[in-house]
Amino acid sequence: MSGRVLPFRGRPLSSEAGIQAAERVLATPFDERAAKTRALHLEDPETLLALCGILRERMGTSPASVRDEAEFLYRFIESPKRDIGLFDERDYFLGETALLAGNACRNLSLREEAWIWFDRAEAGFRHTMNAPAEMSRLAYQKLAERFEERQLDLVIELLPSLVESFKRLGMPEDALKCRFLEGLAHVEKDEPSEAVQVFNAVCIEADALGSERLLAESYGNLIHAHGMLGEAAAAVEASRRAIPVLTRLDDRIALAKVHWGLAILLRETGHLGEAIDSYRKAQEDFETIGMRADVAALNLVVADLLLEEGKTVEALREISEALPVISELKMAPEGMAALSLVRESARRQEINRQALRELHGYFQDLQN
Amino acid sequence: MENPSSKRPDEVQSVFALTVDVIHSALVSYYRLSDDEAKGAEEDLFIWFQRLSRRGGAGQMPPKLLRISLLSAACQYGRSFQLWKLGGEQSSDLALNEILAREPDEVAGDLDRRFEEERS
Repeated sequence: MSGRVLPFRGRPLSSEAGIQAAERVLATPFDERAAKTRALHLEDPETLLALCGILRERMGTSPASVRDEAEFLYRFIESPKRDIGLFDERDYFLGETALLAGNACRNLSLREEAWIWFDRAEAGFRHTMNAPAEMSRLAYQKLAERFEERQLDLVIELLPSLVESFKRLGMPEDALKCRFLEGLAHVEKDEPSEAVQVFNAVCIEADALGSERLLAESYGNLIHAHGMLGEAAAAVEASRRAIPVLTRLDDRIALAKVHWGLAILLRETGHLGEAIDSYRKAQEDFETIGMRADVAALNLVVADLLLEEGKTVEALREISEALPVISELKMAPEGMAALSLVRESARRQEINRQALRELHGYFQDLQN
Repeated sequence: MENPSSKRPDEVQSVFALTVDVIHSALVSYYRLSDDEAKGAEEDLFIWFQRLSRRGGAGQMPPKLLRISLLSAACQYGRSFQLWKLGGEQSSDLALNEILAREPDEVAGDLDRRFEEERS
């Protein structure tokens, strides 16, 4: 017979006071926080709960800062071992901060680091009272990462089971997010009509759930799919619905994808100059957010367009800018093969366009 | 930022209020906590439950699943508290030893079924 003693606690902060405390924490430099732990109420679960909520909302605006903040919180809770809250709350906060850090790393294309954080999240969530729900959220992030690593068959195989889990747990928004991956898989397989069907269905469900973020992000994905089909009116209509909401939510990742989607439309409809401008706009957005892999991917796309316009020197410059970033990332073998060809052709100043297209085709997925 | 507590506090309060008698009864009659000990436990459980409902994975959960989590936490609390009081010794109370030997989640499942039956 064994058991641990469950700690009794004094009165915690109210949730409103927790939000104020969280804002004070975020306004305090990392190196000053440890000394101000008590004054900042940094060990109070209300503060931590509010911090996790704020970081979740900032994911689309500033994944790099979310990664840093989530890592700080994880390390703070983890060592020295602190008694946080009641029952399973320490384990929950370890899991949640690790999940936030992993999600941020995924957005930043820091693949190996993302997997380490996902393992840490699992270690925390495993001991929580509500483990099936938290583990399912983690499973979604893992599938999203696998999608970005082009493991499409595995993603498609595992998605239905995850959707079923979310439905059983009464988590309809999370179930709907899984359909995003399904739609994006169609985009990846060059099946834009099927993608349009999925994203239209997502829009209807998101509207019914009252989730304006999911609705706007789904319209953002519709721009991309309609763009691939060269359906200008539908793409413009989707952007008209997406942009105001995403701007209000300051979802910069989704807004960058909107510009990317519009660029695809312009390219498909033969407006190469305007397409380059739109790709540049998306690139600026990604640069601001710190999404270097996407910036590099767009360098390659723009290089391809410049070659189409006969601007070889400018295209080489674009490729040269992209190569160091691409090399820094750990890519799958097919990406590395294409990279070698592009690097070699850049050295000879005779660009192998097929290799370039294979490489930026590989990178195209990173935007999702 | 949206105040998470404003999301569905009434629903959370309602789940707790409807379940608290079952919790009290389980803590006192199953796990043999005193009335005062059970009340202290219920205060902690209420604070914890309000925060549980604002976690990333619980924000959308329906009342039934929230209730099962609450009952499970209550049983874990009761079991841990009684084990601590016994200091590793067996109790002379056979029914208590029997309940302590069971998984808290299993006991919580029984309590939830009883709750459903009483309300139907």
